[in-house]
Amino acid sequence: MTTLLAARDLRKSYGGVIALDGIDFEVNEGVTGLLGANGAGKSTAIKLFLGLINPTSGSAEVLGEDAASSVEIRARLGYMPEHDCLPGNVAAAEFLTHMAELSGLPPAYARSRAADTLRHVGLFEERYRPMGGYSTGMKQRVKLAQTLVHDPVLVLLDEPTAGLDPGGREEMLTLIRRTGQEFGISLMLSSHLMGDIERTCDSIIVLDAGKVVEQGAVTSFTEETESIAIEVDENREQLIEALKERGITPLIDGSALVIEGVIGDQYDLIRDALVAANAPLRRMAPRRHELTEIFERNGE
Amino acid sequence: MSTARTGEVFDIGYQNYEGPREGRPRARRAVYKEGIRIALGIGRGGRAKIMPWAFIVAAGIPALVLALIAGTVDRLAGDFSAAIDLPSHGDYYGIASIIFLIFAAAVGPELLCPDRRDRVINLYLVRPITGTDYILARWAAFMTIMTLVTWLPQFILLTGLALGADNPATYLQDNWADTPRFLASGFVLAVYTTGIALAVASYTTRRAYAAAFIIGIFVISLPFATGLSQDIGGTAGEYLSLLNFSQIPILMNDIIFNENNLTTEEALSTQLPKITQIGWYAILTVVPFLVMWRRYWKLNP
Repeated sequence: MTTLLAARDLRKSYGGVIALDGIDFEVNEGVTGLLGANGAGKSTAIKLFLGLINPTSGSAEVLGEDAASSVEIRARLGYMPEHDCLPGNVAAAEFLTHMAELSGLPPAYARSRAADTLRHVGLFEERYRPMGGYSTGMKQRVKLAQTLVHDPVLVLLDEPTAGLDPGGREEMLTLIRRTGQEFGISLMLSSHLMGDIERTCDSIIVLDAGKVVEQGAVTSFTEETESIAIEVDENREQLIEALKERGITPLIDGSALVIEGVIGDQYDLIRDALVAANAPLRRMAPRRHELTEIFERNGE
Repeated sequence: MSTARTGEVFDIGYQNYEGPREGRPRARRAVYKEGIRIALGIGRGGRAKIMPWAFIVAAGIPALVLALIAGTVDRLAGDFSAAIDLPSHGDYYGIASIIFLIFAAAVGPELLCPDRRDRVINLYLVRPITGTDYILARWAAFMTIMTLVTWLPQFILLTGLALGADNPATYLQDNWADTPRFLASGFVLAVYTTGIALAVASYTTRRAYAAAFIIGIFVISLPFATGLSQDIGGTAGEYLSLLNFSQIPILMNDIIFNENNLTTEEALSTQLPKITQIGWYAILTVVPFLVMWRRYWKLNP
């Protein structure tokens, strides 16, 4: 598997404030999530990989080259910033054509790629309208399109769902997943939302206070962290006892009983406990750990 | 009976790009080309076109008037036409320089300010260009526009003067040196105004602030330097009159045409050695360029 990004003892400080504290990780092909709370160092890491800022020490490698010194390699990268970055008085087609040329594509190819890419993100009909009149969701899609217009090897997305309503967020996550699966383009996206990462990513790197606290495949990660929440209409105490008799100790979380790290035949044991306690089941659903719980667990 | 043919639309899905990739040279050209388009409002709404084209027309009007005078003076003045001092190429920048200075102040910042205000600059710098590539390409783009805008009226004037002469071919033959002179003088004016306009624009994200500051430099320095230099007089006054920033390119124009302009006839700075005048012009051209470059060079990864 090709290593697309590599952080080697990567450290970045701003004066006395340490944004990244000697982190090490590698990112391979596929969709990788960079998870962390605000201020964890996600945006700093992305900017280091793009060569927008220089590391205090260590190195950030992109496609096998040092990000701080390689200019040409950026022709094979895409970047979607968290903040607004679109000129309001320019049409999307014009803007994307220019962005493609900036990545080295000749004008005729750039125009063609701009139209194709806008079609893929669902903005083909709107492509000649000035972007100042676009909704937040449409602007996010143009921002994604400008990362794809030159057919990069790797795209870095900084909080791609920031500011979107639930519908827009859903569309954006679907588009990101499609980009990774159908377009064959690798992505690394940063988010503070566990759900976004789980839905779109193959692997995950968790940052906290400038340090890597977890990394691995999303599947193994969620297996470790998955819990089951059970709500019953009555006989909850009997159910707790029945579960304990079967070696399962549930946690009480409001009206729900939470069973952590459920694997294999434990589902059968839970079913048996429900029957034994004669507890009518209202809801049984997987429950993901919140980001803070991951950090707390790591702190322990 | 024929069977009607129906079209079918196929979604061929995402296609990887297999065409040429021209890297950094293409990226530099793209920034340059976009700079030209921004300066002229191309690819933007109608409002973006008003400012540059209004100034281009305004810069051409004095030349058109002078050309018409030159073309009709023989018929209107008859035998006295020889006694009338027709406007020359050397006079033009003295008469119309303020239009070019305001053009630079109004249009120049548009090439830099919105990119930083809208943070589009971050999308540039993650592509295969550096901050230096970006600013040099933008500088070259505005320099190109300024040069063409300063040359255009001179060509209108040349056309008027040639057509107004008894024999246009003879006029062009006799006055052939005017063309390289006004080309050089226009270039000198363009380099000067481009440098100052973009240096100021590199320090603000608001085009209006930049424009006001640039106009302030040119307009306020005129009465300030003129009044102060005349009050003090002598050699000190001559040097102080160099602070009239709007007049510096006209001094170069006088040197190129080897004659005093209407607007510089009484300027004390003309008393200074030519090398001093040229040196001051060079400083006022190179320093803003370096200031602007440093500002963007710092954005270099």
